Amino acid sequence: MSISDRIPAGTFGSSPPRLESYAKVTGRAEYTHNVQLPNMLHGKIFRSSIAHGRIRRIDVTAAKALPGVHSVFTAADVCKLVPNPYYGPAFHDQPILALDKVRYVGEAVAVVLADDPHTAEQAVQLIVADYEELPAVFDEVEAVTSATFVHDELKPAKTFADLKHLAGRSNTNVIVEFKLDRGDVKNAWAAADRIFEHTFRTPMVAHTALEPLVSLAEMNGSTLTIHTASQMPSFVRIEIARLLGWPESRIRVKVLHLGGGFAAKTYIKLEAIVALSTLLANRPVRIAATMEEQAYVIASHATTCRIKSGVNKAGRVIARQCDVWWNCGAYADVGPRISQKSGFTAAGPYDIENVLIRSRGVYTNLPLCTGRRGFGVPNLSWAYESHTDMIARDLGVDPIEFRRRNLLREGKEQATGTVMPDDSIAQVLDRLAERMNWSAPFERGHGVMRYGRGVAVGFKAVIAPTTSVATITINADGSCILNISTVDMGQGSDTVMAQIAAEVLGITAQSIKVSHPDTDLTPYDMGTVGSRSTFHMGNAVKLAAEDARSKIEALAREIGLTKGSNYPWSELFHRRYGMQAGNIVGMGTFIPPYAAPSSESGHSANVTPYWMVGGTGVEVEVDGETGRVRITKLITAADCGALVNPRIAETQLSGAAIMQIGYALFEKMDFDGGQLTNASLADYNIPGMQDIPLALVSVFVEGDQQGGPFGAKGLGESGTFGVAPAVANAIHDAIGVRLINLPMTAESVLRGLHKIQGRQWGDE
Amino acid sequence: MDISGELIIEAPRETVFDRLQNPSLFVSLVDGVRDLQEIDATHYAAIFETKVAYMRFKFKVAVEVVRITRPHEIVAKIEGTPLGIVGRLSATTVTTLSEVAGGTQVKYSIAATIAGKLGSMGQPVLRSKAKEMENQFARNLRAVFEQDTKGLVS
Amino acid sequence: MIPFELVEPETLHEAVSLLDADDPGVRPFAGGTALMLMMKAGVFQPSRLISLGRIEERFSMISVGARGELRIGAMVPLSTLEYSPDVQSAYPVIADTLRTLANIRVRNVARVGGALAHGDPHMDLPPVLSVLGAKAIVIGPGGSREIAVEELYTGYYTTVLARNELIAEVIVPAPQTRYAAYLKYTTRSAADWPALGIAVLLDSDGRMIRDASVVISAATERVTRLRHTQEILNGKAIEDTTLHRAGEAAVAETMLVADARGSMFYKQQLLRVCIGRAVRMALANGVGK
Repeated sequence: MSISDRIPAGTFGSSPPRLESYAKVTGRAEYTHNVQLPNMLHGKIFRSSIAHGRIRRIDVTAAKALPGVHSVFTAADVCKLVPNPYYGPAFHDQPILALDKVRYVGEAVAVVLADDPHTAEQAVQLIVADYEELPAVFDEVEAVTSATFVHDELKPAKTFADLKHLAGRSNTNVIVEFKLDRGDVKNAWAAADRIFEHTFRTPMVAHTALEPLVSLAEMNGSTLTIHTASQMPSFVRIEIARLLGWPESRIRVKVLHLGGGFAAKTYIKLEAIVALSTLLANRPVRIAATMEEQAYVIASHATTCRIKSGVNKAGRVIARQCDVWWNCGAYADVGPRISQKSGFTAAGPYDIENVLIRSRGVYTNLPLCTGRRGFGVPNLSWAYESHTDMIARDLGVDPIEFRRRNLLREGKEQATGTVMPDDSIAQVLDRLAERMNWSAPFERGHGVMRYGRGVAVGFKAVIAPTTSVATITINADGSCILNISTVDMGQGSDTVMAQIAAEVLGITAQSIKVSHPDTDLTPYDMGTVGSRSTFHMGNAVKLAAEDARSKIEALAREIGLTKGSNYPWSELFHRRYGMQAGNIVGMGTFIPPYAAPSSESGHSANVTPYWMVGGTGVEVEVDGETGRVRITKLITAADCGALVNPRIAETQLSGAAIMQIGYALFEKMDFDGGQLTNASLADYNIPGMQDIPLALVSVFVEGDQQGGPFGAKGLGESGTFGVAPAVANAIHDAIGVRLINLPMTAESVLRGLHKIQGRQWGDE
Repeated sequence: MDISGELIIEAPRETVFDRLQNPSLFVSLVDGVRDLQEIDATHYAAIFETKVAYMRFKFKVAVEVVRITRPHEIVAKIEGTPLGIVGRLSATTVTTLSEVAGGTQVKYSIAATIAGKLGSMGQPVLRSKAKEMENQFARNLRAVFEQDTKGLVS
Repeated sequence: MIPFELVEPETLHEAVSLLDADDPGVRPFAGGTALMLMMKAGVFQPSRLISLGRIEERFSMISVGARGELRIGAMVPLSTLEYSPDVQSAYPVIADTLRTLANIRVRNVARVGGALAHGDPHMDLPPVLSVLGAKAIVIGPGGSREIAVEELYTGYYTTVLARNELIAEVIVPAPQTRYAAYLKYTTRSAADWPALGIAVLLDSDGRMIRDASVVISAATERVTRLRHTQEILNGKAIEDTTLHRAGEAAVAETMLVADARGSMFYKQQLLRVCIGRAVRMALANGVGK
């Protein structure tokens, strides 16, 4: 640690390059895909080819006999080690390998371990399963009343008090229903001047992180070490320990850089299969999903959202009822939490006296689902921001003006009763309007090409309560290591955490080494999800750094130095221990205050430590003869608190927006009888360079997040909320076609045009 | 995947029906099906080999005749397990015959689901193959009745 | 992936002799970009692959013949074709097409022969070379034959080439007109396979259309020449009514394939509108060059 490292470089709020950038661009960054364990076997998974059925028999003889195959395991083998092999974050409903039933096409039924992945894959093709096929259900609304039940009974995890009442419930596909009841919606309709009701749909979509899922496991003495591309090493350790009945200390989870996550790499994905494979085979095992295979492991919810609003003569929404159905697929995963914790925002960032929300997570025979960079908020904002625009247009009110009349402002209660602490929603909207030049006349064109513009604003309550712990070690030479289980998946968390610690300690961010998560060494963190890390782990890091700083000061006092002495840290250690020896370890733990919503009314006085607000404005060009939509301008505005690293923040906002271009215009998982038919990137299009508008702008609404480290907050998802509805609003502005289902393909636009022109479409 | 179509056969409905509900004849109309085995009056097994683009596939096929309503409807269920590749083909076929001027109108509709590796291959290729099979079937069916009339004449 | 035999012959004739007329597990490859995708998807498992990467160098060359025709060796990489000055001056439509064909990494590896022999109707070079009247010189054990590119295709991934034949060279006749264009219409991401590809070649005096050649692909199972549409365009004035009728004729004379990029009805709407756009593109390309 040299003197120059000790001089603060205005670290907080500046944009030092990401700590790992040199390693990444020179191909030296470490990823789980590169991990090689001596003597490791390669695993490939045999998956169900029917959507719903009882397993009669699994014939693995031909697979086992293939030269190069070490072993083939099914649930029968798993049960020898784990008699109750069910896992999941909220419900213990997903078996490590299918037991008595398969519940979706692609479900893991058996695993082949071989000397190389090609032999393993070949052996998988030789496995024959005999199923008694059962009727299947795929639609989330239909599943609520269907007589086809995906699960024989609900299996909530015992750790959650709010789910206990569901244990053993049968004859239902409704996993959980969240209710929010504010004011008196039923009677408010009568007081409304106009009533509007619309139903919106979103499809199941894939995450397509460029690094596919990969996990490895090995035994080191009595410790099971799992190397995995996961956003949640601490959870993986806890859950695997629970399944095996071992103490947490006997499981070690190591995570390197991730090539994207977006929630696809949360909770348990391949980790349980690979752990059991290692224990059963007595060899290290590596299982890597192909890009196509990922969509069979995890996807993101399709939803149906019905929203009804009552508006008074002054253009104020006085009542809103939201019915949301989340298509959770065959296993609950975090779906029930999304239906609750995003569900309570279903009415939008609006000040509405009477609100009724019913948000249901539903089982179907499709791949299981989780959030996708938004924890369900994009599904909801698609509905409420399209609905809001439709109301405004119908009333003849400017869409921005209509929003201004109804936004939640500082001091007002959101639907749960939690008070909005600031005016960020209005500020985001105002900045959008300004950058869109909204008050200037806009030329919509008269020829084949038409032009339109639209805006949308959404918000999210960061999930709570969650815990983060950090330790920071100062070495005898004064160098620093930050130990956190936050996973850098490309969002720049290593850099941001280093900047926060550096700010406290008065050193540069670059002089801090941030370890890769390793549960033997890095303390507990709930997970790198939901834009929670900057705030939660950031606070823990700040506390840890403050603890370290006060211990440095104590050490200085101990050796007789007066306050304000400027001895380098290495000198303090040398004096205290007689040589270059010793450490100082600072620790910080953070959990924000929280009040759980009432199970009856959904009310809570403190439902989230912070809100995230994100708005989008777009200009589009619509080809009136083909329906093709081009986004020509996309502006993202988000409340950012105090910016830790402006350059990283900008890439977070623009990255989120770019991702949602696909969500808005062309992404959709296509199913035929439960079989996914477009798993490959050749068929499932995601946005490329040429889909990005030349005018792509990110606008920071800076402020000071109360309770955040130096006023900072998360913003990785804020750029996702407004894109799809803003595009829908712009298309309507351009050609008068209102699309209510995603994606808004060229064909759906042209079809809408034909409809309003009274022209027939095909055989319709 | 849904395939449907119709064709006119210049022969009386009863004759066409008799022919179609004869399993070994029916099977001979589909190129690539062989080794037909009768398991019982309504269940049959066979091997189906085909080529899609430059890929060869071999299926073990189980056919169940679900319903025969003389003289106008045959409903069958087909389950195909591909050999050497994970997947499944399952289809329900409904064939209806009606009398029209000049002979019999044969209407067919097939609702097929293709799962596994095969199903994720790309719908256009599979559809194109299905169309090819449909055309072959129609051609073969016509040929049977042309043979019949030739036989009658000579 | 099951291990396969990889053979790297040093002459075209040796390569031909290694092919097997009856065995679909034996296949040649040039750049291998398309074949590799099939193998990765697990739907094609070769027993033997014959690499053409080491055959005679003359198959990787582009030259201009005595009558001004462009002679392209089958092993010419697509990026070489894209940047060739001969191609850019004589056939700008080819260079333009290549600019949006797949991506630069693929273009650096994929070869012309492979691009023509693969038979995926979404590919761009087949309709463009068809409309330019190109022909393929095909070598087999019995000798060589000439096949018009337009006549190479019989369906999805199927060509008239026997399993033991190879495309050796592609000859594009000397340009008679500058009015040529390829309209590649993508309906999802900009870099998607096209929902519809229309290649147009025609001549004009500025007021009327002559010698119109219209070939479509992507929305059809194979490259398809629109004969009736050509008739509608020939001898007609360049105006919207002509183009409109040509669009209608195109829809009437084709059977379009529905897929994830559009239903049949939607593709018909696209075709109806894009015929006129492609003709106008061709006219604009020809002016001032």
